[in-house]
Amino acid sequence: MTVQMIFLAFFGGAAVWFGVVVFRTHSMVRSALALLFSQTAIGAMFLVMQAEFLGVLQIMMMATEMSVMAIFMVMFMMDPGGMGKMDMTHQKRLSLWAGGIGLLAALLLVWLPDWGPVALSVPGAHEQAADLGRELLGRSMFIFQSAGLTILTAMIAATMVAIVPNAEQGK
Amino acid sequence: MTIAGAREGAMYGIRRAVAAAMARDLTAFVLPGPSVARSMGIDLANAHLRIVGTPRHANVLIIAGPLDVGLRDAAAVAYAQMPRPRTILALGAGDIAPLPDADVSAPLTQAGLHSELADLRRVVAAGAFRANTGEFTAAALEVRVEYTCPMHPEIVRDAPGDCPKCGMTLVPRETASNGHGGHGGHDMPREDRPNPADHAHAGHAHDAGGSGAYTCPMHPEVISDAPGKCPKCGMNLVKAEEVESHGPGHGHGHGGHGGHGKQQDHSGHDGHAGHGGHSKATIDGIEPHFMSMVELTEGQPRSSDGLQMDWIEVPFGPFFPGLPAGLRLTLTLDGDTVAASDARSLVCRAELVDGPQMTAGDFVERLAAMMPLGPVAYRTLACAAIEEAASADPGQDARRGRAAAVERERIASHLGWLAEFGTQSGFLWLAARAGALQLAVQGADIDGIAAQAGAIRALIRRVETAPLMRMRLGRIARIGTDAPASGPVDRARGGGADARTEDPTLKALGFEMCVREGGDALARLRLRCDEIAQSLDLIAAAGRIAVPQVPDVETVSGEGAATIETPRGAARLRVKLANGKVVEAELDTPTDVNIALVETVTAQRELGDALAAVASLDLSPWEVRG
Amino acid sequence: MSIVVVLLSLAAGAYALAVIERWAVHGHLSLTGPAWAALALLGRESLLARKSDRLFFELGPVLLLVAGLMAVAVIPLAPGLIITDLATGALFLNAALAYVLVALIMAGWGPNGAYAMIAGWRFLGQFIAYAMLIVMPITAVAMRAESLSTVEIVASQEQLWNVLYQPMGFILFVVAAMGLAWLPPLDLPDATGELAGGVEAEYTGVRLAVLRLARMVIILALAGATVTFYLGGWLGPWLPGWAWSAIKILAVAAAMLSVGRYMPRIREARYLALSWKLGISLALANIFVVGVIALVVPI
Repeated sequence: MTVQMIFLAFFGGAAVWFGVVVFRTHSMVRSALALLFSQTAIGAMFLVMQAEFLGVLQIMMMATEMSVMAIFMVMFMMDPGGMGKMDMTHQKRLSLWAGGIGLLAALLLVWLPDWGPVALSVPGAHEQAADLGRELLGRSMFIFQSAGLTILTAMIAATMVAIVPNAEQGK
Repeated sequence: MTIAGAREGAMYGIRRAVAAAMARDLTAFVLPGPSVARSMGIDLANAHLRIVGTPRHANVLIIAGPLDVGLRDAAAVAYAQMPRPRTILALGAGDIAPLPDADVSAPLTQAGLHSELADLRRVVAAGAFRANTGEFTAAALEVRVEYTCPMHPEIVRDAPGDCPKCGMTLVPRETASNGHGGHGGHDMPREDRPNPADHAHAGHAHDAGGSGAYTCPMHPEVISDAPGKCPKCGMNLVKAEEVESHGPGHGHGHGGHGGHGKQQDHSGHDGHAGHGGHSKATIDGIEPHFMSMVELTEGQPRSSDGLQMDWIEVPFGPFFPGLPAGLRLTLTLDGDTVAASDARSLVCRAELVDGPQMTAGDFVERLAAMMPLGPVAYRTLACAAIEEAASADPGQDARRGRAAAVERERIASHLGWLAEFGTQSGFLWLAARAGALQLAVQGADIDGIAAQAGAIRALIRRVETAPLMRMRLGRIARIGTDAPASGPVDRARGGGADARTEDPTLKALGFEMCVREGGDALARLRLRCDEIAQSLDLIAAAGRIAVPQVPDVETVSGEGAATIETPRGAARLRVKLANGKVVEAELDTPTDVNIALVETVTAQRELGDALAAVASLDLSPWEVRG
Repeated sequence: MSIVVVLLSLAAGAYALAVIERWAVHGHLSLTGPAWAALALLGRESLLARKSDRLFFELGPVLLLVAGLMAVAVIPLAPGLIITDLATGALFLNAALAYVLVALIMAGWGPNGAYAMIAGWRFLGQFIAYAMLIVMPITAVAMRAESLSTVEIVASQEQLWNVLYQPMGFILFVVAAMGLAWLPPLDLPDATGELAGGVEAEYTGVRLAVLRLARMVIILALAGATVTFYLGGWLGPWLPGWAWSAIKILAVAAAMLSVGRYMPRIREARYLALSWKLGISLALANIFVVGVIALVVPI
C-alpha cells in the first residue's frame, strides 16, 4: 500500500511539474511535449491505481494527440522554437480566476460527495478488461455510440469548414 | 603515422581496438558524387566501403577526379561536417585547397583506389587518435561579425566604431563570411565554432516606424528606448531598425523556427509591415488579436494548399545524394511544399576557347574533359565539327564506329541515371544493378556489349514491372509541349526532336526515334529504357565501336558546325578554324535548355516529388553555360 | 530471470538484424561487419549541432530505445518466457510504439537542421497513415483470442494460425508495421536519397549508435508482434518453442528489411490515401468477417 502511494505521489508530482513546464518554456514544441509527458504521468497514475486498461489507453492516446497538436503549433504559431523568448502565459488575470475556480471545484468534488467505502480489492486486470468490454457494449453502449458518432460528425464538419475557403481561392 | 583529421586523445588500450575497427569499417562520402565516380570508371561498390549520403556518417572523404573550383568551398564544408577521425582519399584530384592535404592519393584508376584503400586502412589503424589536433574551419561556414548602424543599414564596417552619418555607435551583426555559398547540401555548422552574439531571427523585427530603439516583434506599436520585455506578450524587445537591413523583412519575427538561425538570407519572405492599426472588436479581459494567425499572416503569400506556414530556405547539393552532383538546388519550403526554387550549377563550363588558340587535338581533349558525364559524345561532337570545318570525311566505317560509341555512352548514361534514380528513391536493387551494368558497359567492346545485352534487357523488364513505380513517378514533373526541352525530356511528351533522325549513318543502321506519351517522370523513365534497348540494337547493327580520333587538320581554315544527340539531348557545336587552330567555338548543350525546367517541375510540389522531378530531367551541371 | 534471457536474445537478434541490414543496404554479407561498425561508431566524435534543442537532441534516441524495449516486454518468446504478461498486452504494445513517433519528432526537431526537421514531421504524416492499420487488425486478433494478453493470443492459434484465419489482417498489419518501423519503401524519416539521412542526418558517434540500436529493437519488436499475432508465436512442431520464436521473428524481420530493396519509396501522402481509402475499408471488412467466423465456426 505504501509503495503504491509513493509511486502515485511521484507520478502525480511529475504530472503537475510537466504541467508547469508547459508554461515555463519558450518553445512551442517543448510546451506541447511537456503537456504530453504530463498526460503520460497521469496514465502512469492510472496504472499505479491498478486501472490497467485505462492507464495504457491514456498513455497511448496522448502520445499521438499531443504530437498532432505539436505540429499544428509549429505550423500556425509564430516562433515555435522559442528563440524570441516568448512568454507562454497570456491573459494572466483570466487564467488565475479560471484556475482558482477549477481548483475549488475539484476540491469540492473530492470532499463533498459521498464516495462510499474505499474498495479494498480490485478485480484482476483480465477481469477488468472483460468487464469494461461488457460495460461498453452493454449498458453504456448507447452513450458511447452516440458520442462516437458526434465526434465523427464534428471531425467531418471541421474538415469541411477548413476546406471551403481554399476552394474559393481556387476560383 | 597520423592523419590530419585525427581525433584528440592518446593512442592506447581500447583506442587501438577502436582505431582498428575504424580501419575495417570505412564509410565514405564521395565527391562530387558516386555517379560521377562511376562514369569515370571507378567501381566503389567493389571496394569494401560503405557509401553514405551525409558527411556526418562518413570517415573517408573520397574525391574522384579533379575537383572543380566551384565545388571546393562546399567540399570544405562537407569535410568540416565529418566527425573526427576523418580522412581524405584523393583519386587524381590535384589541388584540393581549402581542404587539407589528402591523407592518401593516387591516380584515378580502380587499381589506385584499391591500393589507396589498403594504405588508408593502415594509416587509420595507426593514427586515428592524436594527442593534439589542429582545428579545421571551412571558410564558408565561418561567421563574420560585422558592424552596422542602427539608423543607416547601408553602413557596414568590419570593426566597431561610430556611424559616419549620424555618429551613433555601430551594432554588431552576424553574417556568413561567404554569402550563402558552399553548404554541401548539409547545412549544419559545427559545434566547435565560435558563437558570437545570438542573432537568430529575433532580430528580424518589423519596422516600427518610430524613433524608439526597441520594439516587440509581434506588437510593433510597442516602442521602447531600452531593451526589455513586451508588456503585451512578454517577448524580448528587439532593435527596431535591424529590420531595415534585411530588405523586405521577415514576416512577424518568427523567432527562428525551431532555431533555424542559420538562414541568413530571407529574401523569399515577403513580410508585411506591422500589425498596428487593425481595429477588431475586442473582448474584455482578452488581449486584442490574441494569437490571431489570420492577422499575423495577413498579406503573406500562400501556397497551393492554402496553409500559411513559415517559409524556410533549404539548400540541396552540390553533393546531395539524390541530385546530380554539382547542382545546387535551393528550395524555399512552405511546410513540405516547394514555394520557390533556384537551380544553379557550381561547375559551369568556361568558354571553350579562352586565351591562346588551341590545336584541334587540345580542343577535342579539353571539351571531352569538361564533360565528365558524357566525354565520348562531346569528343565525337568536337571531331565532327572540326571535320566539317576542314571539310574532311572520316569515312563510312569510322562514322558507324562513332555512332556506336555514342550509343554505348547513351546506354551507360541512361543506366547511370537509373542508378541515381534508384539511390534517390530507395530502390536499392536498381541502384546496385544499374550501377554495375553501367561500369560493365562503358568502355566495353562490341563483344562486351553483346555479353551484357541480356542482363541489360532483363534489368529494363524489371524496371518496367517494378511495383509502386507509377505511384512514385506518375504525373510528376509533367511538362507541356510548349516549354522548350531537349533530349529524352522532349521525346517523352509525345513527339519532340532527335538529332539522330538527320544522321544517314544511323538511318542505315535502322534508327527510329523513340517516343513516349505523357510528359511526366514515368514517361521519361520508360523512354530511357526504350532508348537503352534501341541503342543495344544499333550497336549490334553497327558491328564496331570506335571512339573518334582527332582529325588531322594541319593548316586548314574554315568554319563548321555539328550536332550530336548526346544522352541528355542535342548538343550543337560551331567551330572556326584558322591555320589549323581553333580560334572560336560556340557550344549549345541540352542542359542549358533543360535546367530552366526545374522551376516549372518543382513549383508547388511536395519536397520528395520535387526532388524526383529534378532528377527526372537528368541534368549535367557541367553542361551549363557559365 | 526471463528479463535477462529476453534482453540477451534481443541483443543477439539486433546483431543478426544488423548483419541482414548491411546486406540489404550495402550489398555485402559480413558476420563481423556490424561489430566493427559499432566499435568504430563509438570511437567517433559525437557532435552537437549549434543552436540545437539540446534536451530533445539527447532524449530522442533514448526515448526511441525505451519505447522499443517496452514493446518487447509484452512479446512472448516461449511459454513463460516473457518479461511481463499484461492483461492488456496487445494494447500496451501500441502504447509503447506510439512513443516512436514522439521520439522521432524530438530527434528531428532537436538538431536544428532542415533535413532532420522535415523528416521528423513527415513521420507524423506517415503515422496518420499507419496508426489505424496497426490497431484495427489487432482488434480482430483479440476478438478471436477473446483477450488482449499476448500469451493468450498465441494460445488461441493452436488450431490454426491467424495468418490463415485472417490473411487480410496479416497483410494490413505487416504493411502498417513497416510504416511504423520506417522500413523501405516507407522509410521517409531517414530517406537517404531525399533527405540525406533525415532524422539520423545530424547524429554522430555514440548518439547515432543508440539511434541505430533503437531502430533494430523496434524492428524486432514489430517482427515479434507479427509473429505473436499472426504466425502462432512459439507454436510449431519438433523444435522447442523459443527456437520457433527466434526463427519466425528473424525471418519476418529479414523479409521486412529486404522487400524495400525492390521498389521505390512511396511518399506519405500516397501512403495515407492508400491506407485510409483502401486499408481501413479492408480492416473493417476483416473485423466483420472474423466476427462472423468466430460466431459460426468455433476454432
